[in-house]
Amino acid sequence: MTAALALLGARSGKRVLAIDVDAKGDLAAALGSPPAGFAPRVVQHDLSVLELRTDESFQEYLNIYFKVPRLTRLTPLARVFDFIATGVPGPRDMLVVGKIAYEERRKEPASRSPVWDLILVDCAAGGQAESHLAAPKAMLTLVRGGLIRAQVEWIDALIRDPVRTTVVLCALPEEMPVIEAIELHERLRAGSGVTVDMCVLNRAVDEPVTAAHRRLMSALVDPEHVDAVAQRLGGSPAPLEAGIDLQAHLFDTTARYMRQLRSRLPMPVVPVPFIVDRTGLTTTRAVADALSSRLA
Amino acid sequence: MSADAGGHVPERRRSVRKDPAGLGRRLASLDVVICCGSGGVGKTTVSAALGMAIAAADDKRVLVLTIDPARRLATALGIKGIGAEPVRIPKARLRRAGITITGDLEAAMLDMKQAWDRMIERYSPDRATARRILRNPLYQRITDSFVGSHEYAAIEALYELHDAGEYDCIVVDTPPSRNALDFLEAPTRLTDYVGSRLLSLLSGGPSRFGFRAMNFAAAPFLRLADRLLGAEVLAEVSDFVQQLQLLYDGIQGRARSVYRLLRSPKTGFVVVTTLEQGPFSEAEFFCTKLREFKMPLRAMVVNRVLPDVFNDGGGVAAATTLVEDPKVAAWLTGELHARVSAEPARFIGATFLNRHTLALREARQLSKLSRFGEVPIVRIPLFSDEVSELEGLVRIARAL
Repeated sequence: MTAALALLGARSGKRVLAIDVDAKGDLAAALGSPPAGFAPRVVQHDLSVLELRTDESFQEYLNIYFKVPRLTRLTPLARVFDFIATGVPGPRDMLVVGKIAYEERRKEPASRSPVWDLILVDCAAGGQAESHLAAPKAMLTLVRGGLIRAQVEWIDALIRDPVRTTVVLCALPEEMPVIEAIELHERLRAGSGVTVDMCVLNRAVDEPVTAAHRRLMSALVDPEHVDAVAQRLGGSPAPLEAGIDLQAHLFDTTARYMRQLRSRLPMPVVPVPFIVDRTGLTTTRAVADALSSRLA
Repeated sequence: MSADAGGHVPERRRSVRKDPAGLGRRLASLDVVICCGSGGVGKTTVSAALGMAIAAADDKRVLVLTIDPARRLATALGIKGIGAEPVRIPKARLRRAGITITGDLEAAMLDMKQAWDRMIERYSPDRATARRILRNPLYQRITDSFVGSHEYAAIEALYELHDAGEYDCIVVDTPPSRNALDFLEAPTRLTDYVGSRLLSLLSGGPSRFGFRAMNFAAAPFLRLADRLLGAEVLAEVSDFVQQLQLLYDGIQGRARSVYRLLRSPKTGFVVVTTLEQGPFSEAEFFCTKLREFKMPLRAMVVNRVLPDVFNDGGGVAAATTLVEDPKVAAWLTGELHARVSAEPARFIGATFLNRHTLALREARQLSKLSRFGEVPIVRIPLFSDEVSELEGLVRIARAL
């Protein structure tokens, strides 16, 4: 979904940075690119991908603000930095948010205009996104002075500014993801103060099985006709019933969870269909098209 | 004694029927079953179903421990809420849902704050040290606000529960982290954290290494930390880590014990995945890592697998004709003595072919699992009818 939104942003003429918080390469792959690494890599016109690594964020931070030289991973101090960045709760969350905020502030050296018009962040599981977004607020209660206090203050302001930052919830039409999306929304509002503007229900099955479909299916497997039908179609029609049953079940499930989300979330809930016949970038393009038509 | 979901002390009557439960029976001899996998693969549901299958297979007292604060386990078990105090799942309710358990099934959710506090109390050399750490604002924030703290608390709670010996089998639903390795590495990381030279430097006093940290080498680091954090916070950090270092020996000893438990023949890892590319790749990676860590992988559970019917050759041929043959609707009208338009015929064919495409992809993924040798692979089908949460869970328990 992040990749599809990034494609839509780039198509509308924005310079887009898509950030993969987990650094697993999924986001780059969805945009048809090999893993991107810590430096932004152009993967499409006006679209770059960055894979966030907190150890590198920490080194970059020290380098920018304190001119501490970047260290090879083998030195003892680099191991200490790696440990602070990846092993200690707190700094890890702040480094994730801090790097994103840093990219939001980056300016072109010549024109002084922002490098990015839109930054999209592919977060990890809901609970982790919540911790990342709440990290500045938590840090502010801890750090009452020093350079970090000032930096955390502007990061916190960035997160709370509804003009500059918003969250898009993503759910699947299944019980637990839907409950999680609803609860995440409640916790985000109470915790980090971030605005949540939209919920996407991905893999929505929106083609219903009608009475006409059912009638035809029953007729195809009617004992009176089934042998002739099988001969004409080149195979038994009986297995097709499983497809119809599954489609009907998934349609009903989608409809039920759409209703649940719409009744519990004070924002648009946008269904995006399940695209099964494509992979990689072609899937992302198809999802972007579907999203675009539903947002129009 | 734990109460049931309705707050009542449950009956002690034993059921006589034993459900045949393949994986449940195989895992019933273990003390600890750890379910790992990516977020969104149904790990919590599988953990609950495994607990159920184990309690159905043998007369065991089974606890399902979830780390997930999203209350998924309570939803899956069809009860109102689960807290840190174990809740017994009433046998009558399970029986009504279609499964008879001979053992006892309880569920609990990790109270992260409580787990951390217990850890501090356990390893502190005296009560004054424990109180000082527990009151430190830095400690309070770390233990209730930040992502990484889940794993530390989870592994500690698991060890404590196992050590108490109250349960025959503990099934752990690991934190909803995309990188389940965090869970395995938590004990080492905590030892590294508490024992690190960095903390000695920050503590600004005599350290466990036997030298005064406020020396020439530490001075630039402390100046940097002072500029970053401010003097007040630095003092808090310094106090916190000074106290924390007193816990080092206890935490190091515990880390060794935890690794012994994780590698024990009485422990088993169950990796849960779907056949989608992302979760599947992570599951493969995790299985490889378990081997490297010499931790026992007991089974892989592949969730939401499309039924074999979607690979039926006859079905594929029939569906293809319905989609591609422009004359088929007219022929069907003649054969069935009823007007058949092209749309429903195409719809029936296309619906099947879409699922067939996915089933082919899934079959390719499944074939990759042979590389893990003898490890049992359990497939849980994608069900296409509607049942309640608990009935759904029972159905999965039976599939296990």
